[in-house]
Amino acid sequence: MTALEHVVSVRLLQKHYGPLRALGGVSLDVERATVFGLLGQNGAGKTTLIKILLGMLAPTSGSAHVLGRPVGSCEARREVGYLPEDHRLPEYHTGPSLLDVYGGLQGLARRERRQRAAELLDLLGLAGRDRLRIRGYSKGMKQRLGLAQALLHRPSVLFLDEPTDGVDPVGRKQIRDLLLTERARGVTIFINSHLLGEVEQLCDHVAILKKGHVALVGTVPEVVGDKSTWLVGFAGPPPSDHRWQSGRLIPSGTADLWRLTLDSADGIDRFLDEARGRGLLLRHLERERGTLEEIYLQLADAGGPSS
Amino acid sequence: MNEPTDSRMRESSCRPGPLRSFAAILSDAWLAFRDARILWLLLAAIVVLFAVALSARVEPHTGGRRYLDLAARALSADMTGIDLSKDSLADVAGRLDGSLSMITVAAPVPDTAADGPGTTWNATLSRNVVPVVGSLATADEIASRFGRIPDGRLWTVREIRETTTGLAAAVGNQTWELTVDPGPDLRILWPHRFTLFGDSLELTRPEGAPLGLEVFILQKLLSNGIGGTILLLVSVVVTAAFVPTMIRKGTVELLLVRPLPRWQLIAFTYVAAWLFVAALLGLLILATWLATGLLTAIWSPGIILALPSLLLFFALMLSVSVFTGVVTRSAVAAMLVTVAYWAVLFVVGLMHMQVVASRIREETAGRPRPVSVADALRPRPQSTRSEQTAAPRTPFHTTTVAHVVEAIYAVLPHSEDLDTMVDRQLMRDFAVGGRLRQLMESPDFTWARGMGFTLAHTAAFLVAACVIFSRRDP
Repeated sequence: MTALEHVVSVRLLQKHYGPLRALGGVSLDVERATVFGLLGQNGAGKTTLIKILLGMLAPTSGSAHVLGRPVGSCEARREVGYLPEDHRLPEYHTGPSLLDVYGGLQGLARRERRQRAAELLDLLGLAGRDRLRIRGYSKGMKQRLGLAQALLHRPSVLFLDEPTDGVDPVGRKQIRDLLLTERARGVTIFINSHLLGEVEQLCDHVAILKKGHVALVGTVPEVVGDKSTWLVGFAGPPPSDHRWQSGRLIPSGTADLWRLTLDSADGIDRFLDEARGRGLLLRHLERERGTLEEIYLQLADAGGPSS
Repeated sequence: MNEPTDSRMRESSCRPGPLRSFAAILSDAWLAFRDARILWLLLAAIVVLFAVALSARVEPHTGGRRYLDLAARALSADMTGIDLSKDSLADVAGRLDGSLSMITVAAPVPDTAADGPGTTWNATLSRNVVPVVGSLATADEIASRFGRIPDGRLWTVREIRETTTGLAAAVGNQTWELTVDPGPDLRILWPHRFTLFGDSLELTRPEGAPLGLEVFILQKLLSNGIGGTILLLVSVVVTAAFVPTMIRKGTVELLLVRPLPRWQLIAFTYVAAWLFVAALLGLLILATWLATGLLTAIWSPGIILALPSLLLFFALMLSVSVFTGVVTRSAVAAMLVTVAYWAVLFVVGLMHMQVVASRIREETAGRPRPVSVADALRPRPQSTRSEQTAAPRTPFHTTTVAHVVEAIYAVLPHSEDLDTMVDRQLMRDFAVGGRLRQLMESPDFTWARGMGFTLAHTAAFLVAACVIFSRRDP
């Protein structure tokens, strides 16, 4: 695929702050209409990467394109929406007045930005608070308004830093639904989050950054991986020995369930044959899946903190 | 990253357009401006200041005879082209025509008319020519010169009839019957009482002060003096927060992501803030003009000059504030640095004024100090204390301190020049004379230098702020 076919395309991107290498040669591709999760510990280079993609920082070397345009170019910036982490919206504004200002800076005509602002405030549950100054907003309301400003100009790519931060569970669900609707409309969404469960729920692809390098990238199932462990429950008395020809069986910690670790990923048939051969009856067989959190923590453990 | 030229060309058409960006920043800055409570508090203070000013009463004293006498005495010298702010009485002495004139009889027309600045008078003028030195005057000469004093024209002669007898003429004694109307400058030179809160607080001496001087002081208090200073100070405080609030972490990202050049964020915010303050200053000047006009019926437009002076000065203060805001990202630092800079300008300006005054004192040493009509009105003989006690010590302008002050002043924006130019114009308009006027008229002060230096410093601070902001990583 060329850079044009990818919405975001990053090649060997480096960013040095003096002796500090915030990014040490990152390459990434993000496909259109997908949700891409960027994970990593604090200081891993996530924010630096996002700021380069938004054209706020100039890379030391390497290239980055958004929709085939070099990042930082006016056209690239026109196509992106951004919700920064810990954003501080100017408190003297009301929701509509803030969206009006940002819409103007984005180049939207007055009528268009008014219409779009009303639509988004309604969609995000902020309608009817037109006269309330932002200093009177709750954290969740500020987060929704932050999301509204990112969506204001109908960008093709959204960069969201902790989009559901401070939002209650109902609100989070609303935001997730909204993002999925945007994805369905063809919008590519780049999410930077520490809520791994949420990333797993939302994202099609994830990349884990570590010390300025991409440690892992792929679809969520690819990253999480198909583990060759199963939970097994027997109808009769449990087996006496733990070492089987097809794998190893150990108590799982849950009553009457055993964790089976197969020697090969396709060894489940051999295990079933072996169980039948031993005259054991199964009442439970369930494949265990890894979670993003496990993978993330494994990566974090290997080599300690990345900052 | 180096991108092909065509991408740069496309960029220009993709930007939101400076007008739309400016409108957005203007709207943002307006809300920030409106949000500042201190602004409304001090606008209220200025309204109170005006209410107090409008409670004033300005009433003319009687004085027709005195002003007729003054005009008669002034006939002794040809005062054409004399400016007492620059020329001293010594210069007038050189123009004496060898005669002495006085009013012998004077009565208002009609007899019942009040003695005020609008009254017409019938008078008898007597002129004695010093033998050999002087010569007889014609009625036309008297008609054209009567009432002309260096500060303006007190009277205009409507009718003149010579009543000199042949014998009297032979010994150099001429008489005329005159009917004189108030001249264009009589009213502003006429002594008036000035009281506040109706009649309860009298601010003038018992003999009153020339109306022009009162208007001058009033306009200075309301506009380029106290009122303007309060407004500028509040504006500095309010606008100091604009840039630091805009470029603080968490807010600046929301702006940097928009497709407009970074320098526009700073430059447009600067212009927006300046425009609001310009509107307030415009209102202040207009209100001052209206207030003094309503009180005194003097609608002289000189005070309008205070507007460019104050606007330029605020442009400079705002550029310092924006520059400090960009560098430090702190509203408090921006405010303190700006006020400190202002204080430095003020002190250096004041000391520079002392240097100029000292130089003028030396140049005019031994000559009588300039006299204004206000001085002439005082019943006591004017003090010559400063001349008498002037010990033969080193004049200030030749001291090391003065040289240092002059060196600093030379590189600072000459905002003092702007203020002085406004005062000079107001003093001319309102015939305010005396030593202060002499200082104000000094050629050391010019509009060109005041504007040029102030604008150059303003541009330097603003460009530096834009460049630093554009190049710095957020």
